[in-house]
Amino acid sequence: MGKVGLLFLVSLLLLALFIPVGCAVETPENDSPDEDEIIEDSVESGILIINANGEEFIREGFTSKDGWDLSFDQAYVTVGNIKAYQSDPPYDTDQGWDIEYNTMMEVSGIYNANLADPASDPYQLAVLADVPAGHYNAISWQMLRAADGPSEGYSLFLTGQAEKDGVIIDFTLGIEQEVAYLGGDYVGDERKGIVTSGGTADLEMTFHFDHLFGDGDEDIDDPLNLGALGFEPLAALAVDGVVQADFATLSETLNSDHYALLVAVLTHLAHVGEGHCLAEFIN
Amino acid sequence: MLLNVQSAGCKKIILIMLLAYVLLFLNAGGVSAHGVELEFTERSTVEVTARYDSGDPMAGAQVAVFAPGSPAEPWLTGVCDSSGRFFFVPDPAIPGLWEVQVRLAGHGGLIRIELAEGNIEPSRSTGFSGLQILIMAAAVIWGFVGTALFYSRKRA
Repeated sequence: MGKVGLLFLVSLLLLALFIPVGCAVETPENDSPDEDEIIEDSVESGILIINANGEEFIREGFTSKDGWDLSFDQAYVTVGNIKAYQSDPPYDTDQGWDIEYNTMMEVSGIYNANLADPASDPYQLAVLADVPAGHYNAISWQMLRAADGPSEGYSLFLTGQAEKDGVIIDFTLGIEQEVAYLGGDYVGDERKGIVTSGGTADLEMTFHFDHLFGDGDEDIDDPLNLGALGFEPLAALAVDGVVQADFATLSETLNSDHYALLVAVLTHLAHVGEGHCLAEFIN
Repeated sequence: MLLNVQSAGCKKIILIMLLAYVLLFLNAGGVSAHGVELEFTERSTVEVTARYDSGDPMAGAQVAVFAPGSPAEPWLTGVCDSSGRFFFVPDPAIPGLWEVQVRLAGHGGLIRIELAEGNIEPSRSTGFSGLQILIMAAAVIWGFVGTALFYSRKRA
């Protein structure tokens, strides 16, 4: 073998050393998810609590977008036909009213909750024992006219006082319109609805009353305030410092723009935490 | 005699190659105490944009990212930028349905992102393309060959 041949062989040897290095540059990882973290277990069961919450706005009062200081004596919502779902795929309001689920728990009964009560933090509607474990990531309910009690005849009933520049107005507002709501996963400080075996979790229907009156702590051009009725249109209806009106009356006494705002508010009054719900008027 | 000269030349070549191997492996071992090793990894980035219904960006909104199979504890938390955008790189070892929750001043939403294993498969790279690596390898090899030829040349 000549010198050139030897050099050729040496070169081939070196090349053979480099080629594996080049091929090892891209190496897919072969990790797999930790199966212990997967909580799905349809055999085991736990406790699911259904709550309603009007938040601090309704319990402690707040200033409307138009400067009225509001306090509430009563804020009754009447709800029924409550259903909690382990939806799959996870429900999103973009889907409309079609919801697919693996598990659905139906809550019997109609509940009348005073969300203005300081103890309603939140108001416990129902406790469901022995529900299949899993993630209850959707909830539906209907806001219905109360059959009896202080809010009889109304699905939403508010009483309280409004004060602005020394003017005090006592108000009583009754909304008889019934509304169906469907919401997805709770959006808030913590996840809700995750029932582990032997554990307890809760779901919450959250009512945002700042959507009705607006929030004086936010800019007047804030989307929240732009969509809120405020209190001034109601104050304009006061007689001797008293406003007493129901939905039918308001449809005749509010101007068309204000009434349209009120109607729209009823469709985005209810949330799941901060997550919006789908809504439609019923009955 | 000529044969002997050629054998001596071959011995030189082999010695040079051995020396080169030693140098090569010493370098590969990273014995320099002041050396710097830079690496990067290409991974798929998820960009989430959060806006109000009005179209205004949710600047400064709080973001919580939940990995598949762990819905209770955030895998990552952060804040949207001034355009309402938030970027994160999901762990490629956890394919499945990732959830991103965005909240600001009483407004919030949750979006789900299905990431298949193939979509987020990581790759390791030196930063050089395959062609660049081949050219560099060839240059190194022929450097050795040239050196060997120089020392094995016939002397006048």
